[in-house]
Amino acid sequence: MKNIKLILATVLLLSTVACKKFLDVTPSNSADANKAVQTPRDAQIIINGIMNQMTDASYYGRNFIMYADAKGGDMAVFSMGRGLDALYTFNHSVNNNNYSGFWSQIYFCILETNYLLEQIAKLEAAGATGFNISKGQALTARALMYFDLVRLYGKPYTQDKTSYGVPIVLTRLGFDAKPLRASVDDVYKQIVKDLTDAAPLLPKTRSDGYINYYANKAIAARVYLNMDDKPAALTAAKEVIAATGIYSLYTNANWVNSWSSQFGSESIFELKVNPLENDLGTGSLGVYQRNKGVGTTSALGFFYASTGFLSTLNAGGNTDIRRGIMARDETSASRLGSCYKYSGGIPDGNSSSSKMPGDKSTNNNTAVNIKVIRLSEMYLIAAEAALPTDALAAVGYLNAIRGRNPSLLPATVATINADMILEERSKELYGEGHRFFDMMRLNKSITYNDEFGGLTVSQRTKTIDRTFYKTILPISQGEINANPGIKAQQNPQY
Amino acid sequence: MNRKFTLIMLGFLLLAMVTYAQKSIKGKVTDAANGTGIPGAGVSVKGQTGNAVVTNSDGSFTINVPSNNSVLVFTYIGYSSKEVMVGGQSTINASLSSSNQQLDEVMVVAYGTAKRSTYTGAAATINTEKTKEMPVTTFQNALVGRVSGVQVTNASGQAGATPSIRVRGTGSINASNEPLYVIDGVPVISGNAGQMSDYTLATVNVMNTINPADIETITILKDAAASSLYGSRAANGVILITTKKGKAGEPKIEFRTSLGLTPSWATDNYEPAGVQEQVDMLYRIFHDYRTSNGYTETVANTYALTQLNNKFNRHGYKFSTDGTGLAEQVLIKGMTDGLENREGRYFDWNDALFRTAQYQTNDLAVSGGTETTKFYSSFSYTKDQGRVNINDFDRFSGRINLSQKIGKFLEAGTNVSFTRSSQTGFNDTRNTGANYFMQTRNLLWPLYWPTDYKTGQPFTARYGSLAQNNVYYDQQWDNQTITKRIIANQYLQANILDGLALKTVLSYDNSQITDHVYYSALHYNGQVNSGSVNEMMTNYNKLVSSNTANYSKQFGLNGLSFLVGFETEKNLTDYQRATGVDLGNSELQSVSTAGTVSSNAYNWGNSMVSMLSRLEYNHNQRYFFSASVRRDGSSKLSPSTRWGTFWSVAGSWKINDENFMKDLTVVDNLRLRASYGTNGTLPGSDFGWRELTSYAIKYFGQPAGLLSTLSNPGLNWESSYSANIALEFGLFKRFTGTVEFFNRDTKNLLLGVPISMTTGFGSTLRNIGEVNNRGIELELNANILNKNGFKWDAGINASFIKSKVMKLYVPEGATKSNDIIWNDPTGGDARAQFLYQEGKSMLSFYGFEWGGVQQTTGKNIYYKNGADADAKDFMHNGRLATNDFNKANRVIIGDGTPDAYGGFNTDLSYKGLSLGLVFNYKIGGDIYDGAYKDVADDGYYWERIRAQSVYDNMWTPENTSGTLPKLDGNDLTDPMQHSSRQLHNASFLRLKNVLLAYNLPKKIVAKIGAANARVYFNGTNLLTFSKYKEADPEVGNYSTRGWETPFGKTYTFGLDFSF
Repeated sequence: MKNIKLILATVLLLSTVACKKFLDVTPSNSADANKAVQTPRDAQIIINGIMNQMTDASYYGRNFIMYADAKGGDMAVFSMGRGLDALYTFNHSVNNNNYSGFWSQIYFCILETNYLLEQIAKLEAAGATGFNISKGQALTARALMYFDLVRLYGKPYTQDKTSYGVPIVLTRLGFDAKPLRASVDDVYKQIVKDLTDAAPLLPKTRSDGYINYYANKAIAARVYLNMDDKPAALTAAKEVIAATGIYSLYTNANWVNSWSSQFGSESIFELKVNPLENDLGTGSLGVYQRNKGVGTTSALGFFYASTGFLSTLNAGGNTDIRRGIMARDETSASRLGSCYKYSGGIPDGNSSSSKMPGDKSTNNNTAVNIKVIRLSEMYLIAAEAALPTDALAAVGYLNAIRGRNPSLLPATVATINADMILEERSKELYGEGHRFFDMMRLNKSITYNDEFGGLTVSQRTKTIDRTFYKTILPISQGEINANPGIKAQQNPQY
Repeated sequence: MNRKFTLIMLGFLLLAMVTYAQKSIKGKVTDAANGTGIPGAGVSVKGQTGNAVVTNSDGSFTINVPSNNSVLVFTYIGYSSKEVMVGGQSTINASLSSSNQQLDEVMVVAYGTAKRSTYTGAAATINTEKTKEMPVTTFQNALVGRVSGVQVTNASGQAGATPSIRVRGTGSINASNEPLYVIDGVPVISGNAGQMSDYTLATVNVMNTINPADIETITILKDAAASSLYGSRAANGVILITTKKGKAGEPKIEFRTSLGLTPSWATDNYEPAGVQEQVDMLYRIFHDYRTSNGYTETVANTYALTQLNNKFNRHGYKFSTDGTGLAEQVLIKGMTDGLENREGRYFDWNDALFRTAQYQTNDLAVSGGTETTKFYSSFSYTKDQGRVNINDFDRFSGRINLSQKIGKFLEAGTNVSFTRSSQTGFNDTRNTGANYFMQTRNLLWPLYWPTDYKTGQPFTARYGSLAQNNVYYDQQWDNQTITKRIIANQYLQANILDGLALKTVLSYDNSQITDHVYYSALHYNGQVNSGSVNEMMTNYNKLVSSNTANYSKQFGLNGLSFLVGFETEKNLTDYQRATGVDLGNSELQSVSTAGTVSSNAYNWGNSMVSMLSRLEYNHNQRYFFSASVRRDGSSKLSPSTRWGTFWSVAGSWKINDENFMKDLTVVDNLRLRASYGTNGTLPGSDFGWRELTSYAIKYFGQPAGLLSTLSNPGLNWESSYSANIALEFGLFKRFTGTVEFFNRDTKNLLLGVPISMTTGFGSTLRNIGEVNNRGIELELNANILNKNGFKWDAGINASFIKSKVMKLYVPEGATKSNDIIWNDPTGGDARAQFLYQEGKSMLSFYGFEWGGVQQTTGKNIYYKNGADADAKDFMHNGRLATNDFNKANRVIIGDGTPDAYGGFNTDLSYKGLSLGLVFNYKIGGDIYDGAYKDVADDGYYWERIRAQSVYDNMWTPENTSGTLPKLDGNDLTDPMQHSSRQLHNASFLRLKNVLLAYNLPKKIVAKIGAANARVYFNGTNLLTFSKYKEADPEVGNYSTRGWETPFGKTYTFGLDFSF
């Protein structure tokens, strides 16, 4: 009896003492967020997380690239209802097909950069060093993210920079934060500031799968071009082009094969996609650009090249080497409507059992890296930026790319014009997420190839330009529900 | 050890015999209704603890009594007990009559037992005698319609699916609305387990590991008085399961076998229109697509036929029309360029993808014991093959329950069960590729065949409607979940002083779930990576240590009982996954053959420390009072908020014992009880208050980290405050019943609140408001007839429960609270949308108000409900309306909460023959049909098939009174909107269960050496009455229907033997 009492008392006492520790539980794959970053390596691991999240299906992994191609007029839909066709038909509303995944995923990526930058600032304030590269990468990535967001949700800078851009968030926000939209101009100012701050921190060596100094400059070139700051765009592009020690243009002989390997000589910023890491499988970009049923029955033939694009590509007697990455579509064996850039090259057959080359010599034909920026684009930016002031230089930059169709006459100072450069961009960068943004910043109209699939599209006219309200996305109902103040800042007509 | 044990036992037995061997009484206990002996009835001597025997198989007994003044007490569960003074008799026969009231039933309650007649809380008990013949793999499904205030719903009819139980409404919005499960006194793991819901979207119910045949009783604790002793987890009620124990007496062997067949569904389910109608409807859509865009009828006809031919030529059919109009009947002809001409023949997908379900169970139980040692052991095998070809469940389970008295003061016991169950599941969500049910109703044209008509080879491409040829693909994939569960539960009780008992319980509950998912390189999910296989192991560990001291003593007329306890609980889940892709061999489903592999392993968990106490007092067995306090600390909350205190007070008054009631002889029982108390609910997530950086992903083959949570350090418990008042009555020795009123306020409601996505997250867990559940529960039982061996009992229960959002807290910096829009989580397909608004029901459907079909145009009509007026607006039924939902405001369109639900049952018996019927019903409330949008599509999904009801009711230029809109070729997205178009009356009445049983005559039974033998037939879901005809009206607790597997009609035949 006495013993039992004693035992009980001891048990009670021990338990109470052990309580505090007993009630402190964490999962074994997570750490306290405010202690997780201590060393430069810790910071780099967060950078890895950010790069991984940029390959999400809602961002560079698929939808962001498809957005500009589906809407740009170089692609067409053969049959509706296969997927993402709301992009092509502009069937957007606040509640439906609002593609709020862009908004949420990019802001999630921005949060991660903010988190890392805050942790680094804390450590640096305490005297720690060695975080320059991570800091430069986070700042540059954040700049790119805002650049992408402002192009999706805000009017082009060249159209109305005082209109609403997106909320600028540079710190970790609490759960009750309700930030409102800044102007397009302010967002661009922030982008330029981040890029400028980041540049001196970044290495000038190749860093495959990550952002280095030249990736920063290449993004800057893009940004300045969108701001119509041609001198700055030219300076930035030239700096990348000048880095001949690490980057060089693909030759005509190796252009097609460049898609079957990763981190080629043109790759300035390429996101790594590994099987079983961030491979999107049947939801990947490659599957969305393929012919129906190739490599997987899930390839529904989502998007094919428009007839207009194909006739441009086929100009000059079918000698353009870039035809080599295109193959037949479901309508005809001779119509090269399917693009295999993101399948790592053209397969040996045309059925679901076909083996795709991929870019990693594994059987995972959907784990293909995302080439965010290639050197070719820098030449085309340089050409466009140099054109008003130095046509001769522009000719040089353009011809470096234009030569990929040997039967075309090289451009000369007499023949070069902005449309020629734009057409070259279309051919070179098809399927890489550029066309729509180019057309918007240059205030071009886009005519869709609806007759290819015999479609009647009720949500837009056959030809649109940037005065059409749906050329920018609505702020989703989900965001408005949680952040009511933003309702007053909704994009016009939504 | 064994010998010593036997010796001790023998010693005790001898001692008992020596002590009491004064006089021996013989007799027989019989059933007053029919005079047959009652085996297993208890016979004891009043005031002599331990001097008790159990009657033999024929009801006879022998007992020793100390003197002629002794009083014998006869008891049997379900029967009124009887006391007989021995006097000079040496033979005493007692006939017991069954008590429908079950007034003096001893029931298991929190940390102990209580007599039903004196218990101050609200609790319901279900004796499994009533439910054992039902062909269910989990006991939860047998509770449907049987207990007032308890709503058991199952969204899916799939074998092995996880039902959901709501005790007294919805007290929480967060995932933790399920009650706490306690088996033999110890909280256990419950709910959906393993990882399969992420892969095949099927749920694995870990409670399936409990063999229903091992359960003696189930007690459901409903009010705070009953449940607050379980504190922070009990706000949604507690389900106490007590497994069978051995009884002193001769060993008893019981054997039961049954076979159930489910050849058909319980109701129609979106029955598709015939081939001709389907083709005509598709033709209409194509035709309209052209004519509505300015083309002539001839062009439209050509276009429509071309489209039909494009789609179906390759399946062996071609099409033509006589004229060019919209209403043409399309001629369907066979193609002649292949191996076969399919003209006039269509493929029956229903037949190919579904089968007659088979349910089989075999239980063997052996029990028995002496006064000091009691044992129950069982072994069971159950097999349940669902209607869907790839939905199988089977289970082996074994159990040993042993109790042993040691010496004078000590008692020890151990309950050990081991179960292995295996489940092959099937995608139960709105999935075009893998949901058979949706495929046969919405996607698979009878014009599609599993083989190519030209080559005879399997058809491997996707069909036009995104359906897959699962006749072929089912050979190319595999999935299996194996659950192995051990629950070991050991207690030691010391009855030290008179009335003081110390008890310590240690329990270990381990469920290991192994999931296997394989896709071959030929399967559409395996093509891109040349085959994939996933092996996952999730190991749930729950350790509970509980120490209690209970003191009870009678002081004259006053009874007192006091309990204190200390409890700790640790939950740890270990997870491991190995994934391989690029498989080396098309036959082997192993990660080790894979070219690329990845793996993952980590663990998570939570722990809790608690102190508890309870005081019970009664005066003269007439006035009862009880109070309890519990204090819990949980790792799920931050150090500043983690401790919570929960308490309750309750009382009851046995009115009919009062003098002033003496003359009212028609009243057999009248008792009033009331309680008030608090409970809590913990957040569903283990780490909601913490800011964590997780390392769950990789980049470039290197570790990658992400800030993974937006923490809310102020996160707190949900706290509920419940009041309960009940009146129990018994009249004319024939009717018994309970009327119970309850009110439960839940504050600091937890919810994942949508937050601005600019924070990087879409929602965060917050304490956001207050809800109220109140209601009335009625139970009435009648013993209608009991004459000449003929017996007729009936019972009804009804629950009237309202769940309302009372308050939504005003966020910081805001002037008013935000309404919260949320999606039905069932199936993850956002099939229905709800709105939380102050003062409104918790299940308020939110969407556009549909006004029907415009008779002149066949277009949808929506009421504007205050949206800005527009030139195209018109008046409809006296209200401003529009054809464009974008121009209308969304409003609350309905309420998923029923006005009443419950069940009724009736039992008839005559001699050995008995017939029992159980009905369940729901009255009022709305059901939102999230699947009908697919089968009644306005023309957006061109290649899908439509329901017969669409063909019959669609608006056409010829039938302008159609109740469904015109089939339109311009991709109308109207059906996809959440609108009252998909809202229906949810009322239904269902004959849930029929049981016809026959006890074989003893003479025949004796020939095969058995004590009892019984044959029975059980029918489940045989009849359903409802206004809503499109599909099964019995749905999950959100009152929405989607593409979950429906219920079937099951016919079960069984045999029971005991030896």
